[in-house]
Amino acid sequence: MPGRVPLGRRNLFADGRRLAASIVAVGLAVMLMLLLAGFDTGVRVRSTLLEDRLGADLYVVQPGSNDLQGDVSVVPISDVNLVRADPGVAWAAPLRALYVMVDLRGLKQPVYLLGAIPGQRGGPWRMSRGRTPRSDDEIVISPVLARRYGLHIGGTLPLMGRTFRIVGYAADASGFMFTFAYVTHAATDALLASPGTTSVVLIGTRPGQTGAVTARLQARGLNVATRDELAATDRRLLTGIFGSFLALTVVIAFAAGVAIVSLTVYTSVVERRREFGIVKAIGATPARLVAIVVGQTLVLTLLGLAAGWLLFLAGRVLVLWYRPQFAIIATRDSVGFAALAALAMAVLAALVPARRLSALDPATAYRGG
Amino acid sequence: MTGRVPLARRSLFADRRRAALATVGVAAALSLVLLFDGLFAGALHQATTYQRGWQADLVVSQQGVRTMHMSASALPPATVASARAVPGVLWAEPIRYTSAVVHAGPAEQFAYVIGYDTATGRGGPRHLVGGRPPTAGQAVIDRLGARRLHVVVGRTITVLGRSWVVSGLSAGGTSIVNTTVFVTNDAFAGLRGPAVSYILVGTQPGAGVVAVGDRLAAAMPTATVQTRAGFVHEEGNITRDMSADILRIVTLIGLLIALAVIALTLFTLTLARMRDYGVLKALGAPNRRLAAVVATQAAWSVALALAVALLLAIALAAIVSHLAPTLSIIIAPASVARTGAGALIVGALGSIIPLRRVARVDPASVFRRAA
Repeated sequence: MPGRVPLGRRNLFADGRRLAASIVAVGLAVMLMLLLAGFDTGVRVRSTLLEDRLGADLYVVQPGSNDLQGDVSVVPISDVNLVRADPGVAWAAPLRALYVMVDLRGLKQPVYLLGAIPGQRGGPWRMSRGRTPRSDDEIVISPVLARRYGLHIGGTLPLMGRTFRIVGYAADASGFMFTFAYVTHAATDALLASPGTTSVVLIGTRPGQTGAVTARLQARGLNVATRDELAATDRRLLTGIFGSFLALTVVIAFAAGVAIVSLTVYTSVVERRREFGIVKAIGATPARLVAIVVGQTLVLTLLGLAAGWLLFLAGRVLVLWYRPQFAIIATRDSVGFAALAALAMAVLAALVPARRLSALDPATAYRGG
Repeated sequence: MTGRVPLARRSLFADRRRAALATVGVAAALSLVLLFDGLFAGALHQATTYQRGWQADLVVSQQGVRTMHMSASALPPATVASARAVPGVLWAEPIRYTSAVVHAGPAEQFAYVIGYDTATGRGGPRHLVGGRPPTAGQAVIDRLGARRLHVVVGRTITVLGRSWVVSGLSAGGTSIVNTTVFVTNDAFAGLRGPAVSYILVGTQPGAGVVAVGDRLAAAMPTATVQTRAGFVHEEGNITRDMSADILRIVTLIGLLIALAVIALTLFTLTLARMRDYGVLKALGAPNRRLAAVVATQAAWSVALALAVALLLAIALAAIVSHLAPTLSIIIAPASVARTGAGALIVGALGSIIPLRRVARVDPASVFRRAA
């Protein structure tokens, strides 16, 4: 005898089309889990885009506030001069930030509008075409917004009763479900009928001065936050919204995966029950039979996992082509989670066919098929 | 002979465990579609609860602004008097609004902060479930938001850069995204300036809402005037438009999973019964009759899975609503009908390969020994 017969593998691969359908079905369930985990990571990464790109060491925000995107912070514009007077401050600039809902082609499109003083910090962090706004009726938008709604440089965009002329496209200007747009600070003053105020004061400090500047400005009554403090709050607030959606969907996709693997292996066991009866009749222990089933479910889920990864890669390309504003990011954690889920699927899916097999009567071998 | 043998049903349910696994597989995929649809229907309902509660006939906002969520509106305070002066206007009440983060100790949550006139109550909480309306330095917060922040009446919350004592609790103002905090108009204006955000307008009986709206729009050319229903519709469109992409993606994947499972089930079943189909064909059954068997099996698979998916979705919705009260899941009949239609298409697609196999079955196979 050269060795054991790979009964489970032969059983599983006996019908190529059925195997392919099962792999695709499991792969789709895995793909869904990976896509949603990728969305979640995308939200996490994009939630701190402002803090990551503005390049400020410190921020003056409204008292009681410790985030950039949740609070509509309002501070007096005079705080900018107060900050600039500090010896440890290299530069300071006011930045207005507000959400605006734009109607484009009959659809609501949220835009996060940033108003900065031309030539100072807070404008587009990288331009892909055109130039930054110079006058109060000019705007820079994301190319994602332009492509989706057929906007172009030289065209116009209506915002809150005013019409802005598009003068450029900013690169890297998409949040998770919105895009950034950039105008002058004075334009936002007019939009909000709120001159003399701003949302935040961006601060660049001299080397080694961040802590001292913070202490001095706080002593003067300003609410000063570091980049990391604001980023942590924004990340916590935004990812919290999607957390419950994600958990629910992953559980259902997991259940579907378990049912599909179980169905495939169970069907193959039932169809080969005569062969399994022979195996039992010639002395195979129940443990050996269960091992055959678990082996089949493991192989199937591993193939499903691989298919899920490929489907995820293809799905990500399709989704990002369809809606470039989304960010879908696979991490080692999310792939590890999918692999663990697949392993759990294999074990759970083995239960029903294993029970069927362990209850199999060896006499089945002598009956007609 | 009393009639036809229900061949399709008998062969489908011959092995109950297999039928159960197939049903669970398809049902899980369909319940995913139903639940996501329900989650977004719930979110849509939550997103417009506050605006639906307004007693106003018309809503005035800054020109070009038609919504509240992720929006800002600023009107000069004098606009209120202008609105009141328009013939047919019974009352006009300003509200002030901003989105913010409300804190209580280490807990925090997104919130709509609304300043309203506590004397008239217009634009304020629809009803209080505890405590009383706010005075200066006080705030009313939605009870679910209060629960999440672990505060009760008499405790302090921080929002708009200052502390407020919770004077009362409202209901129906917390969604998956945010909660609602109400303060007095004066307190709001003291912090954020005199500009008002929206003006709620009641019309005189018989004046005609549309006619008054037209007069208001003419009197205030730099403002947007909408009916309350129009405003609610616009507000709902935010949720619809922002969630549509994700909803489409998840629905498509859910239906693809269902398609794979149905195809798998029918294909397996057809192969297992190929000899029976040969017998039927040898006895004179036309291909049409055999196709009907496969189609019936597909219909049974879809119907059963949809029923299980519906029960599963309803049960999950109840459990989720209990565990996370801010998540609202509404399983609407229209959503069930849509999912059912999608499942039928999936069933039809899943039958194609089995149908081709059945059409090609050789009656002579009956007389051969089964492999």
